[in-house]
Amino acid sequence: MSEFLQQLLNGLSLGAIYALIALGYTMVYGVLRFINFAHSDVFMVGAFIGYYLGKLIPEGTIWGGVLVLVAAMVGCALLGIRIERSAYRPLREPTKFNLVTILGAVVGGVLGYFLCNAIFAGRGAGDFTIPLRIMFCWSGAEGLSWLLSRTGWKVILWKTTGGAPTLNVLITAIGVSLLLEYTGQVFFGAAPRNFPALFPVHNFSLGTVIVSSNQLIVIVVSVILMVVLQLIVYRTKIGTAMRAVSLNPKAATLMGVNNDVVISFTFGLGSALAGAGGILYALNYPSIDPLMGVMPGLKAFVAAILGGIGNIPGAALGGLILGTVETFVAGSQFSTYKDAIAFAILIIILLFRPAGLLGKFTVEKV
Amino acid sequence: MPAPLLQLEKTTIRFGGLTAVNGVDFTVGEGELCGLIGPNGAGKTTVFNVITGVYQATEGTVTFCGKNLAGLKVNEIVECGIARTFQNIRLFDSLSVFDNVRVACNLHRDTSAVQPLIRMNAFRADEAAIKQRAEELLDIFNLLRFRHAPAKSLPYGEQRRLEIVRCLATKPKLLLLDEPAAGMNPSEKVDLIRLIQQIQKQFNLSILLVEHSMKVVMGVCQRIAVLDYGVKIAEGSPAAIQSDPKVIEAYLGEDHTTSLSHH
Amino acid sequence: MKLPPKPHLFLLAGLLVAFGVQHYSDQINPYYLDVLTGIGINIILAVSLNLVNGYTGQFSLGHAGFMSVGAYLSAAVTLYFAPRWFGGAGGTAWQQGGLFLMALLAGGLSAAFAGLLVGVPSLRLKGDYLALVTLGFGEIIRVIFQNVDSLGGALGLNGIPPYTTIFWVLAFVAITIFVVTCLVNSTYGRGFLATRDDEIASEAVGLNTTRYKIVAFVIGAFFAGIAGGLYGHFKLTITPTGFDFTKSIEIVVMVILGGMGNTIGVILAAILLTLLPEVLRPIAEYRMVLYSFLLIVLMLARPQGLFNFKFGKSSKA
Repeated sequence: MSEFLQQLLNGLSLGAIYALIALGYTMVYGVLRFINFAHSDVFMVGAFIGYYLGKLIPEGTIWGGVLVLVAAMVGCALLGIRIERSAYRPLREPTKFNLVTILGAVVGGVLGYFLCNAIFAGRGAGDFTIPLRIMFCWSGAEGLSWLLSRTGWKVILWKTTGGAPTLNVLITAIGVSLLLEYTGQVFFGAAPRNFPALFPVHNFSLGTVIVSSNQLIVIVVSVILMVVLQLIVYRTKIGTAMRAVSLNPKAATLMGVNNDVVISFTFGLGSALAGAGGILYALNYPSIDPLMGVMPGLKAFVAAILGGIGNIPGAALGGLILGTVETFVAGSQFSTYKDAIAFAILIIILLFRPAGLLGKFTVEKV
Repeated sequence: MPAPLLQLEKTTIRFGGLTAVNGVDFTVGEGELCGLIGPNGAGKTTVFNVITGVYQATEGTVTFCGKNLAGLKVNEIVECGIARTFQNIRLFDSLSVFDNVRVACNLHRDTSAVQPLIRMNAFRADEAAIKQRAEELLDIFNLLRFRHAPAKSLPYGEQRRLEIVRCLATKPKLLLLDEPAAGMNPSEKVDLIRLIQQIQKQFNLSILLVEHSMKVVMGVCQRIAVLDYGVKIAEGSPAAIQSDPKVIEAYLGEDHTTSLSHH
Repeated sequence: MKLPPKPHLFLLAGLLVAFGVQHYSDQINPYYLDVLTGIGINIILAVSLNLVNGYTGQFSLGHAGFMSVGAYLSAAVTLYFAPRWFGGAGGTAWQQGGLFLMALLAGGLSAAFAGLLVGVPSLRLKGDYLALVTLGFGEIIRVIFQNVDSLGGALGLNGIPPYTTIFWVLAFVAITIFVVTCLVNSTYGRGFLATRDDEIASEAVGLNTTRYKIVAFVIGAFFAGIAGGLYGHFKLTITPTGFDFTKSIEIVVMVILGGMGNTIGVILAAILLTLLPEVLRPIAEYRMVLYSFLLIVLMLARPQGLFNFKFGKSSKA
């Protein structure tokens, strides 16, 4: 019995992480009706942000860990928004690609690189060389291209027509995902790294069940984030706008909603959750590498479908169920099949109840 | 009274809490030109969708040539002899005009699916026959000169005609036309009336029309049924329908005694 | 691709070319032969996937899974029968060829059967969902092979006899192109395209769209299995992770680059994308980065593929 409870706890802890990632998938699907394949790699970026920042904070303080968590969430949110603006939006709406701003981004990136070298040449940044360079390049690229966009100089390279079929967006998302993964491998190497202990580590015993402090943090943080998300989606103006856009984008614009802002916000929010998920996952499975997001991402996606894609409580429920089932399978004689369990669930759900546990089935109008 | 080809008995369609069609009785006989009209949302396209198998009736039966259509899939119903056009034209965009018709000839193809790989004489003969039939059909409707053009490059009126030609390639006994006059100007509507009558005579089939344009409906149909909120409120000849007070009330509201005018 | 008037003659010509190249193969630089083999296998994979993704519009992300079924099962056949029939001597070239053909067909048919198992339940799903289910099936297949110890388990299967010759590769390239092109360029075959364009309208003209999708899937899986068999007997070692969804995506990229539903384009893309890693070998680290970046740019700038000149920019990707 105690082993059952232990496994249950482990499962809920894993499930909470899947839930956080699943929320990002489901929100983006709800608003844009497409699956953001790159979401799992934002998760990975979150873990890496945690890895580097974790070295800067004093060992074993709670506020240090919280700071890293928040920073990772912010960083991932920015990344998510950038991905949406550059890769997905041009497919959705007619967008002009301005050679001036593109060149500006390239030049800005290069300038950032040299600036970084100049500042840290003497001191030598050691471990932090790569993330510092990335940050400087990115800031430089964003900064210079933004400055140039304000000048109004335009050399239009090409224009997208917008309204691309969902399949194209899906393929682009796959491209972004691969880009993040392989760029990550170039920057960080494919070898796994050890994730630092961001929070003080204790083990508590609840009867015969052992709870690690990291598991507790996962559960507590997940619950907090999910509650905050519910509040945002159901109690704020932007949240209502998100729901409006997910139900009927055209009507939403007619009601004065700026869809672009809402969509960017949704991506930012979802990516922040993915970043948090990355940190929490890395706390409990402290080996990180650039491809770490692939399997958890796929499984979180299954969790989102299980709960009903587009449905926020559904994603949470799906995540918890999947995490628990997977943990029990991993502890059983079929442990080598634990990865396949998620896909088996996916197939069963899509065949028998494609709307998911909490989702609604919509009929296509002929 | 000609033997009923299509028969709806107490057909009811419910979507969750919404009853879109309620206990409708309706028949179409052989060689008849019938119309189904009613205000927006009356359930006309839903009736079409039930006849063609897109929806299943919640209650009641739909019989065609004596055969109960319940549980049949859309393509199986087409095999029985019912063809339909769509409100928003659904052509095969990436195919040429010719291929749009050719693909509809699959239903009456003589050779098996393996033949494209073996290509014996039977296959070649079959393909030639299909080509000839498709071209004949296109020619009747003045679309032959477009045959290699992509279907979506056709002007609107031609696209509608192509959709009808495609239906005819499946050798239907009953043709369902879903708002064929949508988006047409008055002279195009006159052409449409003539076209529908010509099709009925030349191909010896029955036609059921859903349409908003009274001009087309009154000009083409021998018998008209009127739906309002999913219920059949009237049925009869065009003249009878035009002066039926229940119909006038459904379209124009109460307190109107003038009959429906052409528009 | 428009069909030439006597397609069987072209098939014969293709087989003769295959035979001819094989005959002079010892005069060709072995490195080039290897590259040509790789190109051929990729062409078979891409053209067969094109039938499913391009012509029938079913976005399958699990093609590598069928490839692995073909690879493993054909290897199982040769590994089982070769010692029993040929003993230590290894058999004559004709004996090897016969066994190999048998093994390839066994692999292809098993893959086709797997395609049936995967396709029947999945094909009522659309777009994103279908992509994910096929991806899921591909991963399940991988996990299954990882757990079958008699086929090497996670460490893979070694010592596969090197039966793949340039003849077999080119012969099957010719056969694959023949089958797909002949099939699509017939009245029956137009049904695949119709199913892609508009399923509802297809049903409304009497086409059984589900059957079309399954047929495309099964045929696509069959040739993926053949390609897998050729691959296994070429690389001589196969592992489950070599057939994961990264491999599936590589094939999908070929289909997209070539233009979905454009056989010639897909062939060109397969050639390009096989040669590119060879050419980019010096910067192999950055190859995948460049690849993925190109994929994004392609989707933004030219979604109908690089080699698609048919209906212009508005072609469905």
